[in-house]
Amino acid sequence: MNDSVLMLTIMAAIGLGTPIVFATVGEILAERSGILNLGVQGMMLFGAVVGFWATFQTGSLWLGVFLAVVAGAAISVIHAFNSVTLRVSQIVSGLALTIFGTGVAIFIGRAGASPLVGRPSREIFEPIFPQSLADIPLVGPLIFGHDALVYLSWVIVAIASYYLFHTRPGLTVRAVGEDPASAEAAGINVSRVRYIHVMLGGALAGLGGAYFSLALVPSWQDNPIGSAGWIAIALVILASWRPWRALWVAYLFGAAGRVNFTFQTLEINIPSNLLAMLPFLLAIVAMLILASGKRARLLGAPEALGVPYFREER
Amino acid sequence: MSRRIIVEPRGLAPWWLKLLIPVASVIAALALGALFLMMTGNDWVEVYKKMADTAFGSGRGFAETLVSATPLILTGVAAAIAFKMLVWNIGGEGQLMFGAIAAAGVGIWLGGGTPPIIAITAVVLAGAIGGAFWASLSAVPKVYLGTNEIITTLMLNFIALNLMQYLVLGSFSPWRDPEATQFPQGRPIIDNARIPEFFHRLDWGLFIAIFVAVLAWFVISKTRSGFEYRIVGDSFNTARYAGIRVPKKILGTFLLSGASAGLAGSILVAGILGKMDPRSLDLGLGFTGIIVAALARLNPIAIIPVAILMGALNNAGPALQSIGVPTATVKILQGAILIFAVAGEFLIGNRFRRPRESVEEKPEPAKEASAA
Repeated sequence: MNDSVLMLTIMAAIGLGTPIVFATVGEILAERSGILNLGVQGMMLFGAVVGFWATFQTGSLWLGVFLAVVAGAAISVIHAFNSVTLRVSQIVSGLALTIFGTGVAIFIGRAGASPLVGRPSREIFEPIFPQSLADIPLVGPLIFGHDALVYLSWVIVAIASYYLFHTRPGLTVRAVGEDPASAEAAGINVSRVRYIHVMLGGALAGLGGAYFSLALVPSWQDNPIGSAGWIAIALVILASWRPWRALWVAYLFGAAGRVNFTFQTLEINIPSNLLAMLPFLLAIVAMLILASGKRARLLGAPEALGVPYFREER
Repeated sequence: MSRRIIVEPRGLAPWWLKLLIPVASVIAALALGALFLMMTGNDWVEVYKKMADTAFGSGRGFAETLVSATPLILTGVAAAIAFKMLVWNIGGEGQLMFGAIAAAGVGIWLGGGTPPIIAITAVVLAGAIGGAFWASLSAVPKVYLGTNEIITTLMLNFIALNLMQYLVLGSFSPWRDPEATQFPQGRPIIDNARIPEFFHRLDWGLFIAIFVAVLAWFVISKTRSGFEYRIVGDSFNTARYAGIRVPKKILGTFLLSGASAGLAGSILVAGILGKMDPRSLDLGLGFTGIIVAALARLNPIAIIPVAILMGALNNAGPALQSIGVPTATVKILQGAILIFAVAGEFLIGNRFRRPRESVEEKPEPAKEASAA
């Protein structure tokens, strides 16, 4: 039963979905504060290479994860500075971050006399519970079959959701994303809130990147993450800016990534390129139906998303 | 009264500042790159010398630089005309690829005896139409449903990429060369549809690209239509009061932007590639076009030299491997240039001054969004 096609697909969906969960929740936090960050792809790649490098040097997975988180947050400051302090185009600044982060990641992977590229990771994340627990039919793999970061992703989703919708600071974030001028009038430091949440987004993107290089694809390649960063940006809309929904849609896309293989075992042959289009096609269709014009507001799109905020000088 | 400095938006920046910021962005990016190279144990002087030598050191090297610059002029124009109207078309990648699909389709379908002038025109125009069509998939929903074009153009990039790969690598479509059985390849277009070269791989596509940039500049700054376009770019409301049909203008601009990116695809197919080669068309030319447009501050004429600079970087990248430096150095430089260029917009859009003691300060209302 635990080896059934369905179960294997679900497990793969969780595995492939987890890095996207991290990145999507991170982007939700940034966008809820009103800042669109198209730099997710670059931040993830930077986190991926830093995490891989640190683990490769020290043999410590958790040090790798920690430094990936720090790296993601650090590089996101570029975007926060451009979009919050300088108030220039968030779109161009985010793209710049993606190009820069991608370049830095590939460079680090290939620099030096004995480059990282092609090397297997010294350690990778493995399931934390004993095999006997994971062998329990049905619930075994679903509950006990994962590595530590999958459980961490569940915790982060729960915290992010509670934070945004059930705490006062969370209310503050949403206020800043909806109407920064009113938030400012209520005594909230808009810039600080936005800096913090762009950096949280960067930290989670870095974590998502590290999940690729330390769990999913355990050897360094120029781009171990594919286009996960871009998918995360699409999923924010599909998740209508809500962390729990981000978890489900990310798993759905994890499953889509796996479906190709599943179909092959069932002897259904669908070209991989057509399947690879699926997440992007779904995102567009969902946008057309759910998030066009005024309906985007009903869905939960922050009113001030992407609009630079000019505080009047006092 | 505090002695701090007041930052406030300004209307027109002096011309020298508009020139200084892009130049300073490039210098700052080169400095950052040098720091990065030093930190990783490389000799940055040697690296930059190698790059300059590869890109500009010989006639052939410079020709290769211009070959790399040709599609960037067109994707740069594509980004610039859209961004100027606050249409965030970041789908240059996809529009270029779909343009290439359309161009290669026509170039394969045409009979071998078609006269060159007709064949070339058909293939090149097919690319522009293909690019415009791909843009319309985002433009029509934007104008009629209010769908955010940032996400749709972005998503369509990946759909076009997978479609292009599917046609050549994943199926036996007419785009795939039936004779290449070992390694899938694009089917060559007819010889008569190839744009002639005039110097070492450099073909007349360069002049098509330059013509498009000059045409864009002329239309924007010298015609009635361009005048209306500029009003829409400044303020939707002003344009509406002036009786300009804003949605129609946005739709038209979006489609022309897609056409320019699609043209980049068809000129590659009819020029140096001669077929739809998925690997050579997936080099981030659309995104690099956005760097070009931002650094050129959305000015179509300035796009030409900036595209040559970016083409030089792209051309020089692979040569770095021979001295043991990763090609990605170029990507770092391009990313850094864009970061500095976009940050520099702050200096162009704002001015600084000390507060006067007695006068009550009332800054003018801020602009809603600044371009690039």
